[in-house]
Amino acid sequence: MNKRIRVLLVEDSRADARLIVEVFKEEQINVDVDIVRDGEEAMAYLYRQGQYEAAPIPHLIILDLNMPKKDGREVLAEIKSDAALSTIPVVILTTSQSEEDIQKSYKLHASCFVTKPLDLEKFVAIIRSLDSFWFKAVRFPANI
Amino acid sequence: MTSETAEPNSSLSEERLRLVVEAAPSGMIMVDELGRVVLVNSQVERMFGYSREELLGESIDLLVPSSVRAKHPCQRAGFFADPKARAMGAGRDLYGQRKDGSQLPVEIGLNPLMTDGERFVLASIVDITERKHSEALLQEKLLELQRSNEDLQQFAYVCSHDLQEPLRVISNYTQLLARRYSDKLDQDANDFIDFTVDATRRMQELINDLLLYSRVDTKGKEFVSTDCSQIVAMALANLKVAITESAAVIEFDELPIVGADSSQLLQVFQNLIGNAIKFRSDANPVITVSAEDAGKNWLFSVKDNGLGFDMKYGERIFVIFQRLHTKEMYPGSGIGLAVCKKIIERHGGSIWAESAPGKGAKFSFAMPKLAEATRVGI
Repeated sequence: MNKRIRVLLVEDSRADARLIVEVFKEEQINVDVDIVRDGEEAMAYLYRQGQYEAAPIPHLIILDLNMPKKDGREVLAEIKSDAALSTIPVVILTTSQSEEDIQKSYKLHASCFVTKPLDLEKFVAIIRSLDSFWFKAVRFPANI
Repeated sequence: MTSETAEPNSSLSEERLRLVVEAAPSGMIMVDELGRVVLVNSQVERMFGYSREELLGESIDLLVPSSVRAKHPCQRAGFFADPKARAMGAGRDLYGQRKDGSQLPVEIGLNPLMTDGERFVLASIVDITERKHSEALLQEKLLELQRSNEDLQQFAYVCSHDLQEPLRVISNYTQLLARRYSDKLDQDANDFIDFTVDATRRMQELINDLLLYSRVDTKGKEFVSTDCSQIVAMALANLKVAITESAAVIEFDELPIVGADSSQLLQVFQNLIGNAIKFRSDANPVITVSAEDAGKNWLFSVKDNGLGFDMKYGERIFVIFQRLHTKEMYPGSGIGLAVCKKIIERHGGSIWAESAPGKGAKFSFAMPKLAEATRVGI
């Protein structure tokens, strides 16, 4: 319980990534957040390649779908087909509202699918439930 | 002038044939079994640029494009082997060759003919240059239309995704500014933030409305038998809150069944009845929904006792984002009637309004009646 929760945020938009961090601040959510900007960086981080040699294994991955180079769908598929990484829960946080994306994400074993709202209050509410569920209620597998 | 063998034996019936051939609106050529021209009319002369004298007694192959000329005798033999009236080269593009070597697209009908024991074929030739030209033009227009439809779908996607991205960032961050700093900023700064937040909300609405508008065509469903009484009842259920709050009375007779995209038709009735409630006068709204048989069409109308409007705005109210009132008085982006118009037009109908200030308004639309084929199985 005293272990700090580590989150890997995969988000290409600097504004969106910062917003999540800022709302964590607003809501006094104390977790470690590392941010990577595309799918290739995300995989390098998870495989501890290059500059990410010392990267920790995250408890939770927050993943955007539409990103340059390697998109979130590919990242999700790769994580879930890797024995070591497949136990990490992945929260899809995206602007997409398409049914196709929702279906595909769950088929690829995403833990949940959340669409980014326009209204800040709604976004804050989502972050709050993320906190009370993923950071306070959930138990993660012991290998993480 | 003409060789003896090529000239059919003169008789009264032959003279009649000659007259008929001459009077025909299309080019007519009569050919014997060996392919020699025995009779032509003036249309053929005009079409191919040969005089009658130049053609009579000559091989019909003269008029066949050189590229396919070699095959022609064989095809002619095939016709005489099984002589019955038919179109030549069905499914193929046929061309004739003029005296000057140029070609013209043609359609040819072949008819076998017996005269005094001799077999002939009478060919009727229509110059289809004009038709080919119109077909090509139509094809071009179709492609153009397809392209513009694709553009529209692309546009809808740009609206739904690409435009909303930056908007969401603006909206989120102005709200974050207000949330974190509003007690540290003065009233002016807070007002400015409020205006920005308001504007982003409105822009979001506009984008959603544009999307709704473009989806009338791109996401429209097939037409099915739709009971308008049921549709109006659904519209009233959806408008329940507004109806209760305004104490509106809505009357409607039994309405017909039409072939329609039912969810779109629901949108039309809901928008029209919703407007009738929204633009009410001081009196309680009384709204009548009716339909009358107008021959090929059903004529629907939604009549109210509301504010009404000057008929000089009669067309403008159907244009997207056109409004007659300020946002403060009547909220909304001015999309409702534009969507109604687009939906009714998609159904092959038309919509219009009659009104005067203070006299209420009557919105009418004509919808083509349900096709018989669709009526089966109601």
